[in-house]
Amino acid sequence: MPALLVLFALSLYPLIFAARVSLTNSAGTFTLANFARLFQDRVFAVAAAQTLIFTAVALTIEFALGLGLALLIESLARGRVLFRAGLLVPMLLPPVVAAVAWRLIYNPQFGLLNGTLRQFGVNTSQLTWTSGESSALISVILVDIWEWTPFLFLLLSAGLQAIPLEPLEAARIDGAGPWQVFRDVILPLLKPTILLALLLRAMDLVRIFDQIFILTQGGPGTATETASLYIYRTAFRFSNFGYAAAMSFVLLAATMLFSRGLARLVRVR
Amino acid sequence: MKRVFVYAAAAIALVVALAPVYWLVTISLKREIDQFAYPPQWIGFTATLEHYVEAFSGGSFATYFLNSVILAASSTVAALLIGVPAAYGLARFEWPGNWSANIGDWILSTRMLPPIVTIVPLFLMLRQVHLLNSLLGLALVYTAFNLPFVVWMMRSFFEEVPKEIEEAARLDGETRLGALLRIVLPLVRPGLAATAVFCLIVAWNEFLFALILTQTETAMTLPVGIASQVTQYEIRWGAMSAAGVVAMLPVLVFATAAQRYLVRGLSLGAVKG
Amino acid sequence: MFRLASLLIVTVLVGCNRAPDKALTIAVNAGVEGTALKAAAKEWGEAHGTRVEVVELPYANLFEKEQLDLTSRTGAYDVIMLDDPWFPRLVEGGNLAPLPHNPDEGFVPSCLAVCRNPFGSGTYFALPYVGNSQLFFYRQDLFAKYNLAPPKTWHEVLSAAKIIGTQEKMFGYVMRAAPGNAVVADFMPLLWAFGGDVLDTSGKPVCDSPAAIEALRFMVELGKYSPPGYAGFNADEVSAHLLQSTAAMSINWPAWIAAMDDPSKSKVVGKIGFLPMLGERSPGVGELGTWLVAVPAGSKHQSDAFAFLYWATDAPQMQQAALRGNPPTRRSLFESPELTARFRAFPAQLASLESARPRPRTPLWNEIENTFGIYLSKANAGTMDPAEAMHNAAREISQILQRGQ
Repeated sequence: MPALLVLFALSLYPLIFAARVSLTNSAGTFTLANFARLFQDRVFAVAAAQTLIFTAVALTIEFALGLGLALLIESLARGRVLFRAGLLVPMLLPPVVAAVAWRLIYNPQFGLLNGTLRQFGVNTSQLTWTSGESSALISVILVDIWEWTPFLFLLLSAGLQAIPLEPLEAARIDGAGPWQVFRDVILPLLKPTILLALLLRAMDLVRIFDQIFILTQGGPGTATETASLYIYRTAFRFSNFGYAAAMSFVLLAATMLFSRGLARLVRVR
Repeated sequence: MKRVFVYAAAAIALVVALAPVYWLVTISLKREIDQFAYPPQWIGFTATLEHYVEAFSGGSFATYFLNSVILAASSTVAALLIGVPAAYGLARFEWPGNWSANIGDWILSTRMLPPIVTIVPLFLMLRQVHLLNSLLGLALVYTAFNLPFVVWMMRSFFEEVPKEIEEAARLDGETRLGALLRIVLPLVRPGLAATAVFCLIVAWNEFLFALILTQTETAMTLPVGIASQVTQYEIRWGAMSAAGVVAMLPVLVFATAAQRYLVRGLSLGAVKG
Repeated sequence: MFRLASLLIVTVLVGCNRAPDKALTIAVNAGVEGTALKAAAKEWGEAHGTRVEVVELPYANLFEKEQLDLTSRTGAYDVIMLDDPWFPRLVEGGNLAPLPHNPDEGFVPSCLAVCRNPFGSGTYFALPYVGNSQLFFYRQDLFAKYNLAPPKTWHEVLSAAKIIGTQEKMFGYVMRAAPGNAVVADFMPLLWAFGGDVLDTSGKPVCDSPAAIEALRFMVELGKYSPPGYAGFNADEVSAHLLQSTAAMSINWPAWIAAMDDPSKSKVVGKIGFLPMLGERSPGVGELGTWLVAVPAGSKHQSDAFAFLYWATDAPQMQQAALRGNPPTRRSLFESPELTARFRAFPAQLASLESARPRPRTPLWNEIENTFGIYLSKANAGTMDPAEAMHNAAREISQILQRGQ
């Protein structure tokens, strides 16, 4: 009981403080200038858009792959535990370590990826991965996919395991093919898990920071600048806490709206 | 035939998952000239432990490692100590109105909070009480954000346990607390393990808060140490990968050991809740 | 059992909080520049029985941490190492403690000028420790092979790059154009050589002047002889190309000289020549990049900190530092015969240092560099026309200046 009160206080006070900071300017007077600036700020628009793209693309692919893997591994007769253990590794790593590993791999001149491709005769001179403006975002998304598909895999596996056998048996007895079984039996029973997994992952994706910080620091230019990074830079490099706080609130509001919607779906189902 | 295809697909997935990790390990064991050699050397390179020696005997990384260990352990223990009773309370007692659902929502929303919003106020708050750049301060922060997760997870586990079991024990003369400790907890052990492992992993891997709230070696953690190898002119790949390997070992060991619990725990708790 | 464990943990945590009385915490740049100061700090600690803790942080993070510490007066650091462009920002608000007494005459004047607030004339708030200014690196052996005289202007560089690039299996030139500090540092010498600048004397942006645009066009032209993807290069890629003998010329910093002649890292030992920066329309000026050492106003050990500062920048200590690879800031050391024998680039370094120009002295340099860098990089990546890039940059820089942020 007291625990919850403490938690409440701990999360509320920073919010109030941040609100105050975002609504005052350097002279200490009340002003909406910080929020107004948001509308003019081209970089913020880019950052917000990229965060959205990042979230959408990563989520979709991670979900698809995660589901595929979950189905795949569950269908194995033997070695399930082994495969599962191995597949979980990427998500257990500290994100910083994963980012470091991928930075190594992505280096256009000396990295593993281009090196291996070159071995197969591929011309890698245009493959700039994280150093190139047009390829940076995709490259970073790929890292996230690599790192977090296991999370979706884990949740969906758990969901699959929780499905009772009777409906499956019944469907098979009725002569349904595998695709039908999947669509009509498994999918509906899996829905709560799916939505939960999507919700959890989406919330984390919107706040993505660690990997991008290590991989590209938001560059080249603003190619991989996401909301979190821009806020971080505004607060700590440009020392503009007011503006950073304003942006954070916008981010928070957006996330809350989105999650509210999704959460209501979860509960309804 | 189909079986072969299935296993092959699984194997490919496994390779994709593990290759980067393997590569990181090899980089940490290669001499500097070999690290970027072409063609890439997967095996059969000269191994050297110089990077590990360099990183850990210099002192900093050993300290970071220790810090991370202390931090992860203490914040997990603290979060469990506070969270488990709270979860139990939520699951067992009658709460007015729609409290239970609302709490659940609110807990979820703390997860939505972009850390940036809280980081500056936290920095100032900690400075006020002289807990900046200290393990104690950081532990408090980590406990605070592991707490919602603990409560959320454990609550659904507690809800799984039928009240009758406890009531039977109480009729036999057990106190409420006794019933909790001796009867209920063992029943939710998988859930407890899963939650504990999650907390440990979150605390161990955490980066942003550690980055901002620490200023010197006294409190810096392993992730911060690793990130600091990206210098202005060069990236100290050797030290960084050595530290990275060491950073990921405890997590892997822990999680693999608790793997069984993780899946069971999640399927019982999260899926239902 | 539980209770015991938690008690133990809390004790450990609290125990880790005690700070000894006689201690000095020094924040240095993680990299070559910080190495010498780190070693000096340890020596000082041993000699005075003080516990010295050195915190090494990478460039960007170092700035953030120092800024945070200074503005919130946390007193976490007693001595900080700062890159000279950070000085105007960090000295604001009285966040740096003024020097108790002025530095002596032995320092190179250009290095001292950036330690004063206002620039060049005010009180001293720091001492220069790393005498860094840009040099031009080029392959002497290849120039000799094609009967080329060492380049004096940028156009000569361009023609040499063409020749070497086509005749040899390598790139004639290599530069870094990653957005931010990287591209700006490599661009400034060109900008100044063509007669342009970022801000004029009244502080207004003039980066879209014809001279400036011409400089950027030249950079993009030169980029054609650089390895592809250079628009994303940072310092390590540039040096890697030189070390691996896949490129023949570049702008670079003295920090890399040692690596060039190190057989365990370099394929071109002894083949690289070093020149002070080249000119074009105006005489060549390298960008000044001295690292200063200062004491935050919030430090709790100020007198110790200053004592360390004066000691570390004194001639004998700077000589030690020089032997550890640190470019000194005292003329006497650049002219010392024994050091010159050991470091063949010293004469070039001294010439460069004395004539070097610092980056515009504004507390908003961070933001300006950030914006400027984005556009310069785009131009080099070919995604924006140089003239358009410069106009955009100028516009945004005035917005930054207007906002004061």
